[in-house]
Amino acid sequence: MVYAIEAHDLRKSFPLKVRKRAGASGVGDTGGAEGAEGAGGDAIAASVEAVRGVTLYVAAGEVFGFLGPNGAGKTTCQRMLTTLLSIDSGSAQVAGYDVSKNPHEVRQQIGYISQLGGADLPATGRENLRLTGRLYGLAPRQVEQKIAQLSRLLSLDELLDRKVRTYSGGQKRRLEIALGIIHEPQVLFMDEPTTGLDPQNRLSLWQHISKLREGGMTIFLTTHYLDEADQLADRLAIIDHGQIVAEGTPAALKGQVKNAQGQQPTLDDVFFEKTGRSLRDISWEDEK
Amino acid sequence: MRIATETGLFFMRKMRENLRQPMWVIANLMTPLLYILLFSPLLANIANPPLSMAGVLNSFVPGILTLLAFSSGMGAGWTMVWELQSGVTERLRVTPASRFAMLLGGVLADIVNFLVPSILVILISLACGFSVHLLGLVILLFLLCLLTAMVSACSSSLGLIFKQISSVAAVVTSLQLPLTLLSGVLLPISLGPLSLRVVAHFNPMYYTVEASRQLAAGTLASSQTLIAFVVIVPLLALALWWATRVYQKAVH
Repeated sequence: MVYAIEAHDLRKSFPLKVRKRAGASGVGDTGGAEGAEGAGGDAIAASVEAVRGVTLYVAAGEVFGFLGPNGAGKTTCQRMLTTLLSIDSGSAQVAGYDVSKNPHEVRQQIGYISQLGGADLPATGRENLRLTGRLYGLAPRQVEQKIAQLSRLLSLDELLDRKVRTYSGGQKRRLEIALGIIHEPQVLFMDEPTTGLDPQNRLSLWQHISKLREGGMTIFLTTHYLDEADQLADRLAIIDHGQIVAEGTPAALKGQVKNAQGQQPTLDDVFFEKTGRSLRDISWEDEK
Repeated sequence: MRIATETGLFFMRKMRENLRQPMWVIANLMTPLLYILLFSPLLANIANPPLSMAGVLNSFVPGILTLLAFSSGMGAGWTMVWELQSGVTERLRVTPASRFAMLLGGVLADIVNFLVPSILVILISLACGFSVHLLGLVILLFLLCLLTAMVSACSSSLGLIFKQISSVAAVVTSLQLPLTLLSGVLLPISLGPLSLRVVAHFNPMYYTVEASRQLAAGTLASSQTLIAFVVIVPLLALALWWATRVYQKAVH
């Protein structure tokens, strides 16, 4: 089996700011917190373990959904896999390269579309695409060909020569996808691709993502939307408090549980079964 | 070679961005012009007998250029925070492009932002009687470009560390005033007491101001100029190294 992504026991902690709290202990409920009392007893230096031993395999050509509430460690995992964050312990291979040892090679093989997007707002879509294409080492002529091709794929035609600042949310998202795939990456990472989009744009984006899958691209997407994971993912993992609590195809996961009202089980039932909480409720709280 | 191409791409990106914000370009030009038009006339009457306008400009313009070099670089941190918050930094960092090139592109654009108003200031001052040695001026501008680059790199690092525009702005602007006063830009430090003169020696800008007065007057080989380069070049290398390191790890 050829894996596009392999991660073994990934861990990541973040230092918490030293807070002055008289005799306090415990540091919120995000992940596993380790508190240590400083000299004098009023300063607490602590770290939060955002990712606590994540192991996962994604086959080439698969759409893998990473489902969990905000603050569960999805983005942190994805940032480690995309070389943006260093890995505390564990190891990961993406597109055949070790993320820690060969970050440069990994970067050549992957695309990443962050939740924030990150297109240059004062520049036009075309300027954004040209810069990104050149940074991936494409020759100017190749870049122009790719722009024409992507513009057809993602319906960017009338947008290209407008400044990104004037785009709607859905238009900006489409441009950012184009920026993420201009170099034809083997593996595409998407962080919450449809957050902030209206239902119509979400649907259209789902169709675009399906088109990419048909082209053979491996897609790793994080989401806190149950229907999105259900709709798009061939296989998914549910992550909560930095640990994977369930993994499988959406159908297999739903087959393991019963719905409380006797209806068709949903992924929310799976989430409730594994964590004792409902994802619908906790997604409201922006724990990030 | 690759790194040069990438630096060029990042430089052009920044330049296009700058040109699209004409208000910034104008604001950048205004400060030095206001100093020359509204402040330098005051200096004429400090000495007894009063100095000529040309005399004032000869000692004041080199300092103004140093001030401009500092302020052209100090805004880099703001931009870094904005790019970090809008996801631009992450998007660029997942590309295989050199991180040093990403940083250097912005630093070089800041240098252009320094050179363009500087040349304007020099031309206006020349029209008002400022006399300058041409080769000295070229070396002087080169030295000040290094200062801009150093300030730009430090400001970028601070932006990526604080991650908030208000914090970076507070730190950078609160450094700006003491550094300016202690560099002898406005009035020569030699007028001050010993303690002030000693503290000034810890200020890199002090050396560039000292050197720039020598260079503008046409003394090409002076100890002041030598010392200024000896101070600025290693500091610049250190600042670029620091900023690249911080940039490599920056996440929102």
